[in-house]
Amino acid sequence: MLRSCTAGLRSLWALRGGREGVPRLSTDLQPAPVSPGSRAAKMDRKRLFSAEKVIHTDCALPNPSWSKDLKLLFDQFMKKCEDGSWERLPSYRHRSTQISEDFKTYFLEQKPVKEGRLSQVRLFTRGFEDGLGFEYVIFKNNDEKRTVCLFQGGPYLQGIPGFLHGGAIATIIDTALGLCATVPGEAVMTANLNINFKRPVPLCSVVVINSQLDKLEGRKLFVSCNVQSVDEKTLYSEATGLFIKLDPEKKSF
Amino acid sequence: MLRTGFQVAVILGHHGALPGLTHLLPRFNPASAFGSSTETLVSRFCREMTESKNYALPNASWGPDMLSLYHEFLEKTKTEGWVRLPSFGSNRDHIQGFKLPLESSANSDKSDWRLFTRCIEREGQGYEYVIFFQPSEKKSICLFQPGPYLEGVPGFAHGGSLAALIDETFSKTAYLSGEGLLTVNFNIRFKNLIPLGSLAVLNVSVEKIEDQKVYLSCVTQSRDQQTVYAKASGTFLQMQLEEDSSQH
Repeated sequence: MLRSCTAGLRSLWALRGGREGVPRLSTDLQPAPVSPGSRAAKMDRKRLFSAEKVIHTDCALPNPSWSKDLKLLFDQFMKKCEDGSWERLPSYRHRSTQISEDFKTYFLEQKPVKEGRLSQVRLFTRGFEDGLGFEYVIFKNNDEKRTVCLFQGGPYLQGIPGFLHGGAIATIIDTALGLCATVPGEAVMTANLNINFKRPVPLCSVVVINSQLDKLEGRKLFVSCNVQSVDEKTLYSEATGLFIKLDPEKKSF
Repeated sequence: MLRTGFQVAVILGHHGALPGLTHLLPRFNPASAFGSSTETLVSRFCREMTESKNYALPNASWGPDMLSLYHEFLEKTKTEGWVRLPSFGSNRDHIQGFKLPLESSANSDKSDWRLFTRCIEREGQGYEYVIFFQPSEKKSICLFQPGPYLEGVPGFAHGGSLAALIDETFSKTAYLSGEGLLTVNFNIRFKNLIPLGSLAVLNVSVEKIEDQKVYLSCVTQSRDQQTVYAKASGTFLQMQLEEDSSQH
């Protein structure tokens, strides 16, 4: 049972809105934009495997596996963050157990099995070594209700030889759309996703995913996005999604 | 909804000059495709590769549900014509001697590349799955046990991990049923979350094959069918592989 509405809302929202783990409370300081070569960036990138460090490592920052294209785009968007119209969303590879306990109240009939073996859980999109899986960062424009996700898919995301797996594209689209649908203080879950693939994405290339909130109907959030090349000349895919805001009163969605 | 100039340009570009997939590829010849019967495709696909590890076999991480259903279907491979599909670290291993009519433009060392649903090596940590295919009905069953590295909502499998496995099962089924190779459309409706470590069963069927496309559907549910996890549909473009004279 949730102890208090606000406490529950904050933790639940963290699942989606921070989406990637540590709660973004209104009292938290927004991390200052970090330039790639700076000391702060280097410290953030340290991947130590003690549990405490893992929870707080922000993966949405440049690392050596990022290509030139990705770093360039990152810098361009960091500049846009300077006037506050855009913000870079931090992204963590692990979830705290406190969030886990709160979220379980929503799924009373579906108890996770074999809890002893879950000690090594990782957020799916952040569970890879640098450069091998999903390398991405998401910037959000709160006024225009849209996000831009810069994504570099690594060699472990292969489908047809030489190209990104459709399911990997679906996963990153789900992530980008989900963060677009999230409003501070609320948690959302994916209900539907529909993706049209126009061209296959070459493995290890950089793509830009532009997402926007199209419509809000009660607890239903309708979002859409496109996946393009860096020079915007190639359209790889288009997608629409339906996300549902979780209702703290009804404990269901 | 107001759109920026940038987005307007994208939409115009899409409707205008950007060539779609079909313009890039050699014209698909249905006559010669149906020369590749399901039996030929299955036998080509299932050639056991002694160098490549076959992941579609039980290991210590498989739970009792997964194991018992696996054995049920193994029996059916002997009596009812089901085929257990081998599963390798890369799709390239399935098409020895052939190549795709697409130019690969990535520069990475190729030995690094792994099939997404087989990229997590440690037993039980990522994807544990096996696909059984029924050639006469163009149906597949995929037994899926998600490990802790596939987490989305705490304690449950990430929706994207399920979407990827459905796409993968679609892809194998589409290929064996009609040389379907590339995903053109994918649609998924999530109903319930899959607890990590539990068994989910994906039932895939080919709905129809027309206009150079293979249409499939999938229902993912618990073993007792009491809980539906997701429903999905997918469309795959038929493409013929070319013979590869330069063997590796």
